[in-house]
Amino acid sequence: MANSNYLSISDILVTNEKVPCKFLLDLPKMGFLDPSATENDLKAGTNIEIPLWLAESLYTRRPPLVSVDLPKIYKETYREILNADSCTVDMHKLGQHFYELGCYIAKHDIKGEVSSTLLNTFRQRFKMILSASVSTDSINSVQPLSMSERKRTEAAVVTERALSSWLKIGDCPLTTANMVANHRKRKRAEMELL
Amino acid sequence: MFGEKVIELLKEAERNSDTIDLYNDEKIRQIIQEMHILFKMNMDDANATTENKSLWTTVQVRHSALERNKRCLLAYLYNRMNKIKTLRWEFGSVLPPDVRELLSDSEYEWFSKYSTNLASYMRSLGEDIGYSGIDLTENLRPPKSLYIEVLCVTDYGKLELEDGDVIMLKKNSRHYLPTEECQTLIRQGVLKQII
Repeated sequence: MANSNYLSISDILVTNEKVPCKFLLDLPKMGFLDPSATENDLKAGTNIEIPLWLAESLYTRRPPLVSVDLPKIYKETYREILNADSCTVDMHKLGQHFYELGCYIAKHDIKGEVSSTLLNTFRQRFKMILSASVSTDSINSVQPLSMSERKRTEAAVVTERALSSWLKIGDCPLTTANMVANHRKRKRAEMELL
Repeated sequence: MFGEKVIELLKEAERNSDTIDLYNDEKIRQIIQEMHILFKMNMDDANATTENKSLWTTVQVRHSALERNKRCLLAYLYNRMNKIKTLRWEFGSVLPPDVRELLSDSEYEWFSKYSTNLASYMRSLGEDIGYSGIDLTENLRPPKSLYIEVLCVTDYGKLELEDGDVIMLKKNSRHYLPTEECQTLIRQGVLKQII
């Protein structure tokens, strides 16, 4: 598998998202993949949702076992909403891994509109990330962001804070190492629980 | 459904991305057992494909699941390894007992070997120009002054300075110490710099 993210946990979580698929061949003994099936075998032509990793690997077999369909958020209707004003969409609810999943999905889109939608969406939502990173009401402004957008926001907050403390004091004091501090915090939380 | 246990395992690890969790022995055993069962079913069906060609597709589905499980387990171990590396740099060569017990036996062995390797590398640095090694875990930031004022956060005990003086580090006591000698303690969270 030519995949540079082989060991990345976040990529694994992205590929765990479900996508609708149509099976092109019979699968004996695989009836349990379809929750509504009563038979032991899975028949060709069944439409079910399977995780992306399974879909990708079955799609690349010769001959392909499945054909991959677009998840609903990448479909025409949602694309129109996203292109009109993507800032109104709550990504946390609709697609936590919107961009990453989109990158995988884009090649199954015959018209090739998904990739431009992804770019457009990010362009429009960038100002949300920016305002969330300086906002004082962090809970409400971070809420509609997707997973990777939240990560960007967190990084922006840390940088912003470091910059302003450097501008104020002009010195970076020696501090406790990150993991040491976090382990201590956790230990304290556990002690309080007991 | 395939590969659900392994996802639980990774989600657990992802949730605490800043700290290391207890090595989940039990769950890993279950996953490996699941893989053994899948493999056995595949072997049986692969042998039967000569009579029944359509079984071939099923074998491929199971094979994908096996590869997926392998990938997830490797990712879990790899991410822990990176954290253990960070432990060496931040906690030093001796781990506090409560952190030590979070590692599995083979992980602790890896930690000791990594620690030894790092130490002998640091000792070898600058040998050709007459130095006896550099401690790379020190001076991560350029020192601004030779002496700094620090506050002691925990009851640490006695600390012997390079000039032979012994000072008592008690909680909430203030000291004026050479930067060089207290920066490791600051990183380990014993002291705090006062600005």
